[in-house]
Amino acid sequence: MSASTMAGSPNQTETRAIKRTPYPGWFFTPAAIIYSVLFLAPTFASLYFSLTRWTLFDSEFIGLENFAQFLREPFLIKGLINTVIYAAVTSGLKVVVGLLLAVMLTSQIVGRGYLRSVVFFPVLVSTVGVGITFTVLMHPTQGMINETLALFGIAGPGWLTDPNLALYSVALVDVWKGVGLATVIYIAGLVAIPQDYYEAARIDGATPWQNFWYVTLPLCRPATSTVITLSFIGGLRTFDLIWAMSKGGPGFASDTIASVIYKQYQAGFYGLSTAGNVVLFILIALLVVPLTMFLNRKQGHE
Amino acid sequence: MKKRTSILGGAAAIAATFVVFVIPFIFIILMAFKDRQQSALRDFSWPTGFHFWENVVEVVKTRNWMMITAFINSSIITVVSVTLLVIFAAMVGYVLARRKTRWNGLIEFLILAGLMVPPAVVPTIWLLQGLKLFGTLHGMILIEVAYNLPFSIILYRAFVATIPRDLDEAAIIDGARPLDVFFRVVLPLLWPVTVTNIVVQSVGIFNDFTNPLYYLPGNANATVQLTLYNFQSQFSTAYNLLFTNILLITIPPLLVFMFFNRQIVAGMTAGAVKG
Amino acid sequence: MAGLELKQLRKSYGKVEVIKGVDLSIEHGEFVVFVGPSGCGKSTLLRMIAGLEDITGGELVIGDRVVNAVEPRDRGIAMVFQSYALYPHMTVYDNVGFGLKLARTPKDVRDQKIREAARILQMEHLLDRKPSQLSGGQRQRVAIGRAIVRQPEVFLFDEPLSNLDAALRVDMRMEISKLHNDLDATMIYVTHDQVEAMTLADKIVVLDGGVVQQVGSPIDLYKHPANLFVAGFIGSPKMNFVEVNADKVSGDTVNVSGPDVVGVPVALPAGKVRPGDKLTLGVRPHDLVVAPSGAIVGRVGLVERLGNETIVNLELPSGASWLAVLDGDQALKRGESLALDVDPARALLFDANGLAVAAA
Repeated sequence: MSASTMAGSPNQTETRAIKRTPYPGWFFTPAAIIYSVLFLAPTFASLYFSLTRWTLFDSEFIGLENFAQFLREPFLIKGLINTVIYAAVTSGLKVVVGLLLAVMLTSQIVGRGYLRSVVFFPVLVSTVGVGITFTVLMHPTQGMINETLALFGIAGPGWLTDPNLALYSVALVDVWKGVGLATVIYIAGLVAIPQDYYEAARIDGATPWQNFWYVTLPLCRPATSTVITLSFIGGLRTFDLIWAMSKGGPGFASDTIASVIYKQYQAGFYGLSTAGNVVLFILIALLVVPLTMFLNRKQGHE
Repeated sequence: MKKRTSILGGAAAIAATFVVFVIPFIFIILMAFKDRQQSALRDFSWPTGFHFWENVVEVVKTRNWMMITAFINSSIITVVSVTLLVIFAAMVGYVLARRKTRWNGLIEFLILAGLMVPPAVVPTIWLLQGLKLFGTLHGMILIEVAYNLPFSIILYRAFVATIPRDLDEAAIIDGARPLDVFFRVVLPLLWPVTVTNIVVQSVGIFNDFTNPLYYLPGNANATVQLTLYNFQSQFSTAYNLLFTNILLITIPPLLVFMFFNRQIVAGMTAGAVKG
Repeated sequence: MAGLELKQLRKSYGKVEVIKGVDLSIEHGEFVVFVGPSGCGKSTLLRMIAGLEDITGGELVIGDRVVNAVEPRDRGIAMVFQSYALYPHMTVYDNVGFGLKLARTPKDVRDQKIREAARILQMEHLLDRKPSQLSGGQRQRVAIGRAIVRQPEVFLFDEPLSNLDAALRVDMRMEISKLHNDLDATMIYVTHDQVEAMTLADKIVVLDGGVVQQVGSPIDLYKHPANLFVAGFIGSPKMNFVEVNADKVSGDTVNVSGPDVVGVPVALPAGKVRPGDKLTLGVRPHDLVVAPSGAIVGRVGLVERLGNETIVNLELPSGASWLAVLDGDQALKRGESLALDVDPARALLFDANGLAVAAA
């Protein structure tokens, strides 16, 4: 054996080989650093700081006192309950309305291309802009909605001024803005259903309603799961629209956990604010994980 | 008989959709064309004059041309964040898809967590202050990147799987080093996903209100959304100006929508339906 | 000059060994074909030579260097992939010149080399096209062009013709053969198609289960297969086999008999076989001839009359079935009784371990 550049013993070859991969681990580094430092680290830190009374300069360990407050103070409890209601209402409406719109927009009606764009455009528009616009439209006396209702002799309610109604008004606007995304996802799901099923159903003599209930709905399961999951998580975390329209008001009638977090932050109760974050985190984990498992498990049985 | 009801039903549906989805936008446009007095009526009347241009000028001049500053800030944040997102997420998605290690499970879990877990804002502020990034555009950019990485990574990882490994190997034999393989062979082929990413993330970051609210206080670095929000008090009696502002910040997404409608829809559904 | 040596090459994935100690010597300018069934390790071996797979044990020598730990680009090799692996976003010109660009070759030198390769492969008119605008055969040529431009010491081909239709395959086979002559290059070619192997190779390496079964020229492998596997793999239609016992040994002829055959003489030097030995008899379909008193008797099953030859399916007493390819047109009918004979010099015997009883 003459001029050999490297020795060829098995172990050496193997170790060299590991270093030579064209998919090097350091490709992860930039993303990993940014993500760990600015997202993962604060998330872990929040678990600690939620157990303190915190003023950013010093923190005093107070155990679960912040969480006890959450379950004690009426305005905090209200925020918690509102959050779940909001998430349920918006995701429920988005699923139903989204599917109906999708069915309409995949049928043979005129101008459905234009309509699809119209329905989807609000998804892309500034949430603050939408919030302001609808706040103006929903003004109890000067707003267009109530003025139009008055034309029909109906006395429009105080959409954002009635404490019992404020949360639901915001939820409606949320659905207006977000249903386009659900619709688009459903359209993709509907288009993927093979025509064979409908033809078989027609041969069996199914009515349009039966078609929908027994063919369309079950075969849209994946799309439905996706829409529910995305909307529910989004609903639990909602802040922009609430803040732009009602600021959690009147009073704290339409507060959600996210607006509570902000209000506590503004007031300087950083420990309580962070506890809010942890509460939201736990809420999402407790609700979404079983939800996802339920949605996907059902699929497995099909 | 059946056909007539379906045409009627169709017409009713179209009309209802129109009323619900288009009228708010028509309202915005009408308000932006009115003068201060007429806009106070907040109704659906036709503008008496063509005041759009003077409204725009006044909005833009407000508080020392703040809208211009805001547009510049928002643009910088959006462009830089999206650029970094594309490159970093593609690199991660590429290695995740190509190389199966025992860390992959953990990494994927952390990524999914990023889609669900709400960011812990106060600790992040505390961290940013410590790093002297609080209230700076740099800090905001890094935050947007951090919060949006999971979505982009998932998109890229799914798509890299469609690029045959043969191409990597051919490039290696041709003498390509890892960075060459990535930038010269794989990344160009990821162009469709990159476009979807750019479009979706740009709109999302441009419209972001919550994060700048927490991490970019102050007027110097205000973004377009923050400025609109703050101008609510400024324009509390000038609804025409308020709605001109809304119209102005709706223009960028509108442009994006007109050019990239197909990509957005394709990208969202591709990721979404597969879960 | 640049030859290759594989010394006890091994490859394992974790605990599973897929290449089990391969020794091979390849001279400069040889056309070597690795052939074998799916999963035999031929592609893995090729990729180990290329540097796309790590070598777990043994040594790989290219030229006079041990290249186990050398990067593919520095090994003096070029590879043509089964899927061609052309870069879809680049023109043919850029595809062929990609490696040169990476090596920062000056533009004029690069241009000259690309055009030279294009000239050799007659694809100058395709240089501005993208791969999606090319036919299968054209893409193959671009892939080869990309390899040529590297001026490698060894060309590696990984089942390059599998994705082409039959007619194109024959054409491209001839082109590759011609290329080999023109370039006077060492070529290692992997295929599962033994016809390709037989027509292209100077030397064939038959692999099964990660072990080299036999190395030799096509005719060598055809006439003197080293074991049952090679005998059954090389040659189409497949060789016929039957279990026999050695009856009588006299001089240089052994008579064998079994449940299906009686007294078939096989030419073998003395001393290789003893009476009573359990053996396997192998006879190629083409070596069977009709003989009224032939040693191999059976019932005619399927008959395919092709005009110049007749393919007959013969059902033997034990239920086994043999294939015979007979000269000319034989008007045989199904169910007929047929007797065949074989030239003693062409019949082959294999011992209880499947190894050929050597004729020489």
